[in-house]
Amino acid sequence: MVQKLFFASIFVGALLGSGHPAQAQTPPDAAAAAAAVAEIRQTIDAAWKELQAYRTGGGKPATPEHPALKWHATLWTYREQHPGTEAATRATADAIRLLVRGEFWEQAHARTDLVGVDDLSWERLSAALYEEGATRKDFTYTIDKLSKVAAATASPTIKSAVLLDIGRAQRRQGDVAAATKTFEASRAAAPGSASSEEAGGLIYEITHLSVGLPAPTFSARARNGKTVELAALHGRAVVLVFWATT
Amino acid sequence: MFVGISVDTNLDRLDTFVKEKAIPWAQLADGKAFDGPIPKLYRPNGTPTLFVLDRSGKIAAKLGSAEQVEENLRKVLTQP
Repeated sequence: MVQKLFFASIFVGALLGSGHPAQAQTPPDAAAAAAAVAEIRQTIDAAWKELQAYRTGGGKPATPEHPALKWHATLWTYREQHPGTEAATRATADAIRLLVRGEFWEQAHARTDLVGVDDLSWERLSAALYEEGATRKDFTYTIDKLSKVAAATASPTIKSAVLLDIGRAQRRQGDVAAATKTFEASRAAAPGSASSEEAGGLIYEITHLSVGLPAPTFSARARNGKTVELAALHGRAVVLVFWATT
Repeated sequence: MFVGISVDTNLDRLDTFVKEKAIPWAQLADGKAFDGPIPKLYRPNGTPTLFVLDRSGKIAAKLGSAEQVEENLRKVLTQP
């Protein structure tokens, strides 16, 4: 964790163009960056709460009074005022995601076009483009745009993130073979990154949890003290219910 | 048969809930939520997620709600 923060501070320092050698970076920079992230997260949370309330109240998408428009503007202003910071990458991704949720496709595309291929906002923004395709039941734009980013970016983590969402789009379209290949490319692009891990998980889902495959077996003690051994239940139909009381 | 895998972290609350609602099937829970070994094995997308397994132990369906359990179970049970 300490090491992570240390690298984060170097990274933020580099983005800010402070010009100091890495050794000169002091913890207050990391603390300030973390505080900025915490602050923007509060703004983002407030935005999503208002969208939820709007929707619960019967509000329709793509209307002039949709709260996504105003919150998107707030977050985009933040991006412009704090270029290159981690907080700005969050603001960027959620600004566009809000437009997607509000079904303001053209505005979302126009904003997306302003995000350069090496802008770390893509690590989060990628999922917003997937969401657009899933909502519209048409992944043409999603796959086209993300493929261009994947081909042009110099950042391994961005490449891994956009490949992950291309793969998710392909899987949703039913092209499991293409999705598997794309997930493998995502996994290989930036080993250890969150996207890479997720891609590995999705490959596992395809290769171990698809319909028709033998269910992974386990043996565990139940709350009532009895042991449940899945393999011993062959011959009976079984429903595994993953749930929670709340 | 049904097997519950609870991702609750408060196991006392789980036990109370199961007792109050008289849920008859076994509950597996280790308090580790989605990081427990069985959720890791099955990667549920949130709760509820249901896996219907046929008599040979193969995955017959993965469901995001309990709504289609009955029709999927019926399919599985009518298989030879």
